[in-house]
Amino acid sequence: MTLQTRGLRKAFGGVVAIDGADVEFQPGRVNALIGPNGSGKTTFFNCVTGMIKPDAGQVTYGGKDLTGRAPHVVARAGVGRTFQLCRVFPRLTAVDNVLAAVRPGGLLHGLRSAHRRDERERALGWLTRLGIEHLADAEARNMSWGQQKLLELAGVLMAEPDTILLDEPAGGVNPALLDRIGTLVRELNAEGRTFVIVEHNMDLVMSISDHIVVFDRGRPIAAGPPAEIRADERVLGAYLGV
Amino acid sequence: MPSASSRYLPLGAGVLLIAAILVFPSLAPNPYVLSSGVIVLNWAVLATSWNFVGGFTGYISLGHGALAGLGGYATGLLITKADLPSFVALVAAALLVAALAVPIGFAALRVRGASFVIVSIALVLILLLVFQSWSSVTGGSRGLVVPRPFPGMLRPEHHRVFFFLYGGLLLLALATWWLLDRSRFGMGLKAIREDEDKAESLGTPTFAYKLTVFVVSAAFTALAGGLYALWFGDLDPVFQFSVLTGSYIVLMALLGGVRNLFGPVLGAIVVGLALEYFKVEFGSTPLHLVTTGLLLGLVVMFMPDGVIPSLAALVQRLRNREQSSIREVTAADLAEQRRREREAANS
Amino acid sequence: MPSGALLVQSIILGLLLGGLYALLAAGLTLYFGIMRVVMIAHSAFLILAAYLAWWTNSRLGVDPLLSMVVTVPLFFGAGVLLQRGLLSRLRPATLTMMSVLITFAIALIIEGLLGYAFSGTQRRIQLGYGTAGFELFGARVAVVKLIAFALAAVSLAGLYVLMKRTQFGWALRATIQHRDAARLVGIDTERTAGFGFGLGLATAAVGGTALSLDTTIYPSLHWHWIGPLMAIIVVGGLGSVPGAAAAALLLGLAQSLLQIPMGATWAQTVFYVALFATLAVRPQGFFGGRLAQRF
Repeated sequence: MTLQTRGLRKAFGGVVAIDGADVEFQPGRVNALIGPNGSGKTTFFNCVTGMIKPDAGQVTYGGKDLTGRAPHVVARAGVGRTFQLCRVFPRLTAVDNVLAAVRPGGLLHGLRSAHRRDERERALGWLTRLGIEHLADAEARNMSWGQQKLLELAGVLMAEPDTILLDEPAGGVNPALLDRIGTLVRELNAEGRTFVIVEHNMDLVMSISDHIVVFDRGRPIAAGPPAEIRADERVLGAYLGV
Repeated sequence: MPSASSRYLPLGAGVLLIAAILVFPSLAPNPYVLSSGVIVLNWAVLATSWNFVGGFTGYISLGHGALAGLGGYATGLLITKADLPSFVALVAAALLVAALAVPIGFAALRVRGASFVIVSIALVLILLLVFQSWSSVTGGSRGLVVPRPFPGMLRPEHHRVFFFLYGGLLLLALATWWLLDRSRFGMGLKAIREDEDKAESLGTPTFAYKLTVFVVSAAFTALAGGLYALWFGDLDPVFQFSVLTGSYIVLMALLGGVRNLFGPVLGAIVVGLALEYFKVEFGSTPLHLVTTGLLLGLVVMFMPDGVIPSLAALVQRLRNREQSSIREVTAADLAEQRRREREAANS
Repeated sequence: MPSGALLVQSIILGLLLGGLYALLAAGLTLYFGIMRVVMIAHSAFLILAAYLAWWTNSRLGVDPLLSMVVTVPLFFGAGVLLQRGLLSRLRPATLTMMSVLITFAIALIIEGLLGYAFSGTQRRIQLGYGTAGFELFGARVAVVKLIAFALAAVSLAGLYVLMKRTQFGWALRATIQHRDAARLVGIDTERTAGFGFGLGLATAAVGGTALSLDTTIYPSLHWHWIGPLMAIIVVGGLGSVPGAAAAALLLGLAQSLLQIPMGATWAQTVFYVALFATLAVRPQGFFGGRLAQRF
């Protein structure tokens, strides 16, 4: 399942945030999306996941057209995401935060208990895997920033997406947690999940990603493996503003 | 697992409520008290119906009074104009209002927050306008007389029957709310209340969810309004489509606490009794408005979670100071311990 | 087919009424722009100002327009207090919903106090020039209506100049457009927001005085105003002052023209029809506001 955009464009008033972006992420790999502040990375994420409608262009996932579809349609197609400023449901318990990602099938399925044993076990499984199972019954708003970030990821994983978009996973987390997130991404990737990561922390990007796309002024200017990107002068230019 | 107390508390309260509904009519000293009981139960059904939208999704409707009025008028008109039997008309009216709630909800819920409130208030104002002006059908300001469903019945017996009918409707509404509260659908609705964008990004079709629960809420509200029409027998647009009705409902639900199954019922009992008391003591004065406004303002400013939850939290805090519940401490301690470890690892 | 004179009269009256709507809708738009607050009490303050104008005239015997010397600064202060003391203390997550309830509660309190102080009796100012009028294209236009329109037009123009040409207006626009960015360039956004609310409420003081000149007032009259005003700001696109003004003139005109075939009561429904149609077809409004998209 390849996530791909063609000629994607989005302007806010007179400001062009994304300017005809053609991007193809590699399935089964850890992809990174980097670029200077204001280069349109988050807007790109929002266009891809349906949070905002692009003005022009196309978003496809595994050949299926997702352009301008509602966020829940994109999610159900198998693309999960986290948010730049981590978002959890503050007054739900941790386990409920994860269970909220369970999709009721039809109407009658929707009336089934949200706490069915198998679903609950699965939710607790993800909390355990992320090391926050001891907080299962705590309300999310009482958890620390780092715990909330892990909880957000647990919710996304519960929905069983094939592709996961992480918006600044390293933002505001301490080095120990950073290591853990890096390891997790590699592990989850080894299990077959595709990742696309927007990140400013270059150490993290270079250490975990297989494929890097560099954004500048709303469009990709380079793409390739870390070693190649590191040596690319255009990338340096974009970052230094040359 | 949800703790034992949170599981058995609703059950106990439910049994208590059923017992109270069964016993009250025989304890009521006179028909007047019994009729007050009917009015309070009417409020309880309205507040609980409102809470399908307000409690689950966090969308505040000030227009549920109009949905009740619509249910009342639809019931009355189906009896007088279409010659339907009373209770067939009641159910048909509720279905009609539910159907009407679909386009209303479509306009109100497609965008977030503010437009829902605007539509809910506009609904009251436009329906008042229409039902006052369209006198050839609605009777206009002269009102609409709704034939009694049990013609030969004496007044006290009439009150008793309707008290039980309202009691049954309340239990049905509560059971439905409880069912949704523990369901996956309900979890999705609560996620919408907490963070709508986030819920959508996890795959919840938020618009469809909001619309569905709004329609359910409208149906229950219309049933309460229709039952009122059958009981009271006389509808006046000024009272049926009053902004005050909606604000009383909101006050009741907020006062009792919108996250609790029985919160709105409790709020309805408190506010409903106060309304009846003030009506007897002071009649209808402009100070009703002032008092309602002040109470609503105070609740919103200082106890947005409701008086009962706030008091419960206070009691909990006082109790924790003396002897803390083992479970909570373990969780908190563990979190603290982990945090320290992590900090130690950093430094 | 109505006569030409009647038609012209309706058009003129519609535009005059639309001017008043535009001023009041500008106030509502300011609140919404600043804090995403739908200020239900706006029209209750409008009626309060009308009552104060009436009281000034009937008790003190002076021209009702003079009441503005007191009501405009008073309302400005009340607006600042409302924002600083109540609305800014609400939790941001539930601000939109809870602020509606707070302002709704204030509307109820004002209505109740008006009823308590002045009773529910309908009141009307008797002016020396109340019956004066003049002919325009065969239509008769009352002088008081023109005064009311002039008041609205001058205030609206003043508001425009204030927003576009002054330091405060610049700060206010910046606060509305991007609060965080405004803070970064050194604007005291909290204070600016408070003053913005004061400004919004001051429009209600002017509007109420204008309204009192030729309208019969009673405590619950504000409900007849808040509905149309909310419709106007939605049709105009929540948060857009020019959009609200355009929608106000258009809907005021439509209401006035529809009165000929439908009568006054049914003509009012045009606002609600426009409100529902806008939300169903184009929720971001027809005149460009872009704030509505996520709200």
